[in-house]
Amino acid sequence: MGVLLFISVLLVAACGLIYELVAGTLASYLVGDSVFQFSTIIGTYLFAMGIGSALSRFLNRGLVYRFVWIELLLGVIGGFSSAALMLAFAFTQGFELILYAVVIIMGVLVGLEIPLLMRIVRDRYEFRDVIAHVLTFDYLGALGASLLFPILLVPRLGLVRSAMLFGIINAGVALWTTYLFSTQLSSKRGLRIACMVVLCSLGAGMLEARKITAVAEDNIYADDIIFARDTRYQHLVLTRFKDDLRLFLNSHLQFSSRDEYRYHEALIHPGLASVPTPRHVLVLGGGDGLAVREILKYPQIESITLVDLDPEMTKLFSTHPMLTKLNDKSFLSPKVHIVNADAFPWVDSNTDSFDFIVIDFPDPTNYSLGKLYTTAFYRAAARHLSAQGLMVVQSTSPMFARDSFWCIAETLKQSGMQIYPYHVYVPSFGEWGFVLAATHEYIPPTTLPGGLRFINVEGLPALFQFPPDMAPLPMPPNQLNSQILVRTYENDWKDISH
Amino acid sequence: MKVGRRKFLGAGSAALVGLSLKTDRPIAGSFVNDNFQMGHLLRDRTSFPPAKHVEKFPAVIVGGGIAGLSAAWRLRKRGFTDFVLLEMNGQAGGNARWGENEITAYPWAAHYVPVPGVKAEFVRELFEDLGILKNGQWDERVLCFAPQERLFLYGRWQEGLEPAIGLTQKDREQFQKLEDLFAKFRATGEFTIPLELGRSAKFQDLDHLSFSGWLQQQGCDSRLVNWYMNYACRDDYGALAKDTSAWAGIHYFSSREIEEKGPLTWPEGNGWITRRLLERVGEKVRTNQMVYRIAETQHGVSIFAGDTEFQAEFAIFAAPTFLAPYLIENFPRLDDFVYSPWLTANLTLERIPDSRGAEPTWDTVFLDSPTLGYVDAMHQTLRTHIERTVWTFYWALAEGTPAQNRQLLLDKDWTYWKEAILRDLERVHSDIRQCVSRIDVMRMGHAMIRPAVGSVFSQERLRFAQPRREARIFFANSDLSAISIFEEAQYRGVLAAQSALDRLHGHR
Repeated sequence: MGVLLFISVLLVAACGLIYELVAGTLASYLVGDSVFQFSTIIGTYLFAMGIGSALSRFLNRGLVYRFVWIELLLGVIGGFSSAALMLAFAFTQGFELILYAVVIIMGVLVGLEIPLLMRIVRDRYEFRDVIAHVLTFDYLGALGASLLFPILLVPRLGLVRSAMLFGIINAGVALWTTYLFSTQLSSKRGLRIACMVVLCSLGAGMLEARKITAVAEDNIYADDIIFARDTRYQHLVLTRFKDDLRLFLNSHLQFSSRDEYRYHEALIHPGLASVPTPRHVLVLGGGDGLAVREILKYPQIESITLVDLDPEMTKLFSTHPMLTKLNDKSFLSPKVHIVNADAFPWVDSNTDSFDFIVIDFPDPTNYSLGKLYTTAFYRAAARHLSAQGLMVVQSTSPMFARDSFWCIAETLKQSGMQIYPYHVYVPSFGEWGFVLAATHEYIPPTTLPGGLRFINVEGLPALFQFPPDMAPLPMPPNQLNSQILVRTYENDWKDISH
Repeated sequence: MKVGRRKFLGAGSAALVGLSLKTDRPIAGSFVNDNFQMGHLLRDRTSFPPAKHVEKFPAVIVGGGIAGLSAAWRLRKRGFTDFVLLEMNGQAGGNARWGENEITAYPWAAHYVPVPGVKAEFVRELFEDLGILKNGQWDERVLCFAPQERLFLYGRWQEGLEPAIGLTQKDREQFQKLEDLFAKFRATGEFTIPLELGRSAKFQDLDHLSFSGWLQQQGCDSRLVNWYMNYACRDDYGALAKDTSAWAGIHYFSSREIEEKGPLTWPEGNGWITRRLLERVGEKVRTNQMVYRIAETQHGVSIFAGDTEFQAEFAIFAAPTFLAPYLIENFPRLDDFVYSPWLTANLTLERIPDSRGAEPTWDTVFLDSPTLGYVDAMHQTLRTHIERTVWTFYWALAEGTPAQNRQLLLDKDWTYWKEAILRDLERVHSDIRQCVSRIDVMRMGHAMIRPAVGSVFSQERLRFAQPRREARIFFANSDLSAISIFEEAQYRGVLAAQSALDRLHGHR
């Protein structure tokens, strides 16, 4: 009996510590500032345990009976604490209040446990043995819990189910106690039924934990993540909030379905509509098929070659119903040829000529991407332009990254082309800029395809006007050996965020 | 899978303490391009079988490194094609040899050429010929991409190789003082590339002093300053500052304009230049032709290689000059030609090792390492996505004497060097063993001439550099300049070709 008794001490101690860790971790996740959260929660918890210990002297009769009830209460409150706190964060304003209330209640109950246990067994052992054994197993349990928690529980079970698992252990100890001390209990039946009810509800909770988490997370994050994948090349996340679909590549927003038409109409039509007889179009980047959707509005176009590094990206935008709806199944058009290749070597080795070239790469956030914004790259791309050909380059924001925008413009100019920079407003991006480039003069179009929502002929001249806060700046060109654009871009955004 | 009990217990106990053993990938590799055996046949003056065939050429070039290939390039460019080039190894290029695997081409030794200044006329002419210099503009694709260099020190990275973080006031002052001194030396016009065009007796005294002695005279006792100066000497001369002539040490810093945009480099390093030269003169090149004897005759010079005697009017000796006493009959002993032994290795990486978050650069150096770090062959790729690469690891064996280090190169097996290389890299790239699949090691006993104290103005050297009017053998190796750099090799090769042409035309 001795060993069994002390094992329950160990389990009880582990449960107590787990609830404390769950509360601390959850608060850190949700509110942030983990040092503050853990400090205050541990302090509050220990203080509440002190209250519990002090209160234990007022419990005089039916100690075993009361101990069983305390275990059951702890099982319920501790076991459901994590789920309850998550829901509280998602649906109420008073997360902190509820958090500390739960922590105090659990602390008081845990504080009652050990004094009660000691008093229950005091007649069986010498006083010094009671103290020694109970405390030994108490601390052992704490050690076990503190190791299990980060290594096994959080990674394998998650916070909600970890708490519930230990709630079950608490309730299990309660049930076990009714057998262990059956001689000291007058009516065991009611207690055991209560234990079974608690165990069953926690067990059910374990099974349904995912739903609870999902319900809470849906409310915690503004947007619902409908697709997330680490492809060989990038981290791809698609979110949806009501009717707004957003694509993030490596955490950078690529489009929002609410206003992407502004971006893509502006990217394609000022240039493409001015090409007299466009037949062949090249798109570099643009694996979302949205630029291609705009290009397909010109029936005379015979072929569109799209070069995008990531086959998973183009496959996703060829097959996912929500996305093919957005890009009008542009990738399924027989005119479209998708090439999954690295753009620079492809441009170097291919010999085809195109009437319109769309260069739509992610912003130059690192030296690898920076290579695609150099004089070397633009020169190579320009070799693919037909006599009437025109090229358009997404060139970041002339407002937030003014130096970068004009650096890209200068780079195109130094690559031997005339440049025609313009800008539009895209609510989810802010002011955004593009540069048209050609070896001949660009004459803005006088007609546009039907059905456009943003670009119109009357509004075109205004796009090429830059107000003083976005006006041209003298910048050196970006070259492979300097890559000044990467540093410029980093500084531009640093200035904004400060 | 059968697991031995001891291993099981070992792994088990390691797992218990949370140290689950990561399995290292098996690493293949071997020594490559060894030519000790051939060299030692010459050294020991082994007797070779008599020649069975005779071939006649007006000119024969001995040695297919940059000097020999440049001589061939110049002959050909001047419309002279009646010559042959004999190369001992299976592959021409010498220190500008390269290798290639399914990932990329990579260098075996020299891997860049600084953007040549106006004095390096022949180099500029070559690069115009190769199409990378047009109207004074360099082809952007062959200039080293940014970011170029990084130094690992105090557990972090800095850009550039000259220590710039954690400097004390004293360090800073000494770096500044040297920079000013080097600028003054530069302004004198005495320190040029090619070296011969600027050198006069003006600073001859500096050649009789070691570079470390000179640094001491300048009051430079900063540890970081001395590390950097030693790094420079190891990198370009394979020697420590104490074994380098002060004149040569100053030349390293004062011979080039401070250039923002260079150097010129390619995935296969200077192997790219070798390839282009071979496209132009390759049909004249005969590999695996070990010349074992050169004898001046009444009307010319006979060169013996394999079972053939090549009868020539003139020979261009572009092999390392220290071989001359072993090959050329009645050749005096050489005393002023000291060579630094080197080791290079190419590491095939199946994934990019962890770099503590830093973006990869072209050249990576670790402070206080005995090695020179490594160069990333994929740095000059135009691709944006890189999964595998090849690193070329450089190690000038500078501590101790060249003879000791040559013995070390001979004595130690491949495993020894593999481990030494991995241990060096492991200090920064902790997962290197999980990334490397192959390490090929190239040992070079006489990798490059060493500008030892007194060697830049050595009379012996100057004698070879100035061809005698009646000479039939023209010397062309970069070791005649006392420093082993591409520009000197090319300069010497071109000059020798011109001397030969002058004599040939004079004869006809």
